[in-house]
Amino acid sequence: MRVLTYLAKRLAFVIPQLVGIILVSFLLVKSIPGDPAVLMLGPTATPDAIAGLRQSLGLDQPLYMQFFIYLKNLLHGDLGTSWQTTRPVLDDLIQRFPATLELVTLSLLLAIIVGVTLGVYAARRPNGWIARLSDAYGLSAGALPDFWFALVLIFVFYTVLHWAPAPLGRIDMVVIPPMPITGAYTIDALLAGDLEAFWSALSHLALPVLTLGLLNAGPILKMTQATMEKMLDSDFSRYEVLSGVPQRLVVRHALRNSLPSVVTIISVLYGYLIGGAVLVEIVFSWGGAGQYAVQGVLNSDIYPVLGFVLFSAIFSLIVYIVVDLIYVLLDPRISN
Amino acid sequence: MLAAIHLLGRLALIRPRFAAGYLIVLTVTILAILAPLIAPYSPTEADSANFLQPPSAAHLFGTDNVGMDIFSRAIYAPRIDLTIAVLGTLLSALLGGSIGALAGYYSTGHGIRVWLSFAVMRAADVIQAFPVFVFAIALVASLGQSIQTVVLAIAFVNAPIYLRLMRSQVLSIRSMRYVEASQVNGLSDFQTIVRHVIPNAMAPVLAQLSINVGWGILLTAALSFVGAGVRAPTPEWGSMIAMGFQNVVTGQWWPSMFPGVMLAITVFGFSLVGASIEALADPAKRRQLLSDARQRDRKKAAVEQPSLERI
Amino acid sequence: MSKFTATLEKELDARVATPAAPLVAIKQLSVEFPGSTETKQVLKGLSLSVQPGEIVGLVGESGAGKTTLARSILGVPPAPGRISGGEVVFEGRNILDLPEPELRKLRGRRLSVVVPNPRAELNPTATIGKQIAAMARIHLGVSRKEAMRMAFAMLRDVQIPDPERRMNAYPHELSGGMAQRVVIAMALICSPAFIISDDATSGLDVTVQAQILSLLERLAADNDSAMLFITRDIGITAHFCSRVAVLYAGEIMELAPREDLFLRPAHPYTLMLLAAFSHSPKLRDAWSVPETGRRETSAKGCSYAGRCPLAQEVCRERPPPLAEISPGHFARCHFPVVDR
Repeated sequence: MRVLTYLAKRLAFVIPQLVGIILVSFLLVKSIPGDPAVLMLGPTATPDAIAGLRQSLGLDQPLYMQFFIYLKNLLHGDLGTSWQTTRPVLDDLIQRFPATLELVTLSLLLAIIVGVTLGVYAARRPNGWIARLSDAYGLSAGALPDFWFALVLIFVFYTVLHWAPAPLGRIDMVVIPPMPITGAYTIDALLAGDLEAFWSALSHLALPVLTLGLLNAGPILKMTQATMEKMLDSDFSRYEVLSGVPQRLVVRHALRNSLPSVVTIISVLYGYLIGGAVLVEIVFSWGGAGQYAVQGVLNSDIYPVLGFVLFSAIFSLIVYIVVDLIYVLLDPRISN
Repeated sequence: MLAAIHLLGRLALIRPRFAAGYLIVLTVTILAILAPLIAPYSPTEADSANFLQPPSAAHLFGTDNVGMDIFSRAIYAPRIDLTIAVLGTLLSALLGGSIGALAGYYSTGHGIRVWLSFAVMRAADVIQAFPVFVFAIALVASLGQSIQTVVLAIAFVNAPIYLRLMRSQVLSIRSMRYVEASQVNGLSDFQTIVRHVIPNAMAPVLAQLSINVGWGILLTAALSFVGAGVRAPTPEWGSMIAMGFQNVVTGQWWPSMFPGVMLAITVFGFSLVGASIEALADPAKRRQLLSDARQRDRKKAAVEQPSLERI
Repeated sequence: MSKFTATLEKELDARVATPAAPLVAIKQLSVEFPGSTETKQVLKGLSLSVQPGEIVGLVGESGAGKTTLARSILGVPPAPGRISGGEVVFEGRNILDLPEPELRKLRGRRLSVVVPNPRAELNPTATIGKQIAAMARIHLGVSRKEAMRMAFAMLRDVQIPDPERRMNAYPHELSGGMAQRVVIAMALICSPAFIISDDATSGLDVTVQAQILSLLERLAADNDSAMLFITRDIGITAHFCSRVAVLYAGEIMELAPREDLFLRPAHPYTLMLLAAFSHSPKLRDAWSVPETGRRETSAKGCSYAGRCPLAQEVCRERPPPLAEISPGHFARCHFPVVDR
């Protein structure tokens, strides 16, 4: 019951924001010069044909009508059609979003492993060399452009060492992708028992995940380090030391108490990465949702852009709700 | 002003990495200004006979796939990148900061102003909920691709940061007594903000400015990388990296690597400068810094002769 | 300090520290706190010993170094403190010399501390039962089940109301008095030989205070544990301490058997403390607290000289030694108050 009232409150707050986001992106994308009808029919089209297509696309309606039509269609699950792929945007996104999600989720896992590990060790010795290393790492990771770092990795691991496959998509061209169930190739391949596809998908994931994971570990590292320092310095950690609790356990309990802030930063990063992975998707020809949106912007194809913005906003919303529920599990003081 | 420079100088000595930050920013700025004097070749003219030459004495960083000299282009690039980033950041601070100051000033009380201030904050929520890059690229696409629109895009996506920053500063300073006193003294709202609130909010805004110039450079390069920002042959780091993209895959690393390294170092420098201003603005960190400085002075006095190697 | 007084001091300290084979002997313990401008001496060569089964009281105002002492005995002074000298001899070994893993095994097992303000000292994300049981699991190596059983028995022993429910409660769900009982349970579950009670009743209601005190006393007696009872309330020590030490600015000012201290206090500071609790207006007027702002501790003289109504020139020039003014009764004063 409490969960339901919580969800209701959350939605009451979020739905106006969602409409705002759709409105802003609608106006923004609408103001991109270029007539989709002209672009779709090509330079040889007759004016009559263009006018006909404009009418069937609803482009002859006033702007606010177009927005309401879009909203109305949205409620029926219709996100419009992309003129580039000539498919419904919903279908396109359902196909591409898992690709982005798989990439982003694995990258986030790497960032968590790197960030939390370094953060904990740095906090244990605030003036030690790991702390200094983490400091330098945090500052420089944020300064590296991800699309360039991806190129460096491609050069080293593909061009020179030949360890990684060519940066051309999610799986080898000669390997047949597994039947889509979740949309994530690695999981689908395992579900189908297709080890060849699994390894191929995994090896294609390696470099992009390394890029995004290493460059985005900074915020997690900083938050873990700061919170852990505070927790290890707190009364209860000192009392544990005083009571002869082994250091390993003191650190573990401190980490347990640091989790709420670490989870917060992770959730923010998760939402950010959905859109923030765009450039890496482009470098590796990933065919994910972000790349789809950028293609849309560059070709006056508005519905993919709107669909992507909507998808990532809803995804962030889900992440935040899940995090709020995790808090309740993590901190006994909240559940009461 | 002089005191501030003196303080920064001392700060640089105590924390070498801050010194490195100022050095990087200074060097890049000088490179940008003196590029026509330093560059051995034109940054936009191609020598089609000498394309994709590896680094050599003649071409320090090699040449790209149409035969342009990468070194010349790489040191011309900050002229574009820095200008765009600095202008965009200043514009975003001006835009966001002034709206934020007003929103903070009118966030309590009654009437239309309170509603406006509320609406402004919700609008900031909406903007910040967007995926930054897609938002910026859509802005550039809808306004027409040019250097000015990249500046506007940077200004627009960063404005909410200053909006929130100024608003919270105004809110906290507003409640202090001297602002109330100045209201009693009959200063207008505008005078109150200008005279008391803005000077106090300066330090965190400055730190944010420096960090944001770094981000601005990254965003400019990213937009140019996907072809939505500055177009070749105008020398710009992001588009240079994009031009060399295919060459990297086939083994010619130099067209992309050098501009990338310069880009990363520059952004790094601006974040260091931002961190140093942040450290000075934070009372606790400043105390630590100053005590370190005193200790340093004492040590120096004890040794009498400052050893040069240690700097 | 002249060579003579230095030797004398050492000799006297040795006598204070070792009347007969003590359980715990603190010898010349010094702790310093590095600051941004200067290093502050919080404990200045403090010596004190506790016999097996004995309860020794230690009285001092805030800032005298009470908590620093309590924690430094176990080798973990409060940050950023540092033990700069001295020994803590426990069962014949200087435990401050032990390697950390071995010292850790003593903490909470053979020597344990009951801390004040326990709600902040407990891990907010673990249940009470788990935290008490963890002590037994870590130090006694018993099974999880056995540890939980012991924790439950201990909670009953400290007379917490409704122990079944408290086992699964979190620290924020406890009152201050209950949390204090939990911390006592944690300190005593391994039956330590030596208990340090660090101002364990501060911040509690007076009625609860009395309950906790008698509980501590009874449990220590049942266990045959010795105890260092640190408090800022000199009145409490009168009830159950066999000897009482008075701490001021990191030094023991007076140390005496209970009767001597309360009936024949010798140090002006002790008199001031007693006067503050006294019902006699005469005593209160004579020994009322002078302006406390002046608490400068000169490097040279007696650290109490700045506040002392009896201070003379010599008090600001030369530090007084801790002198034995009658058998077992020591006072650090050039002009001890005698024959009152």
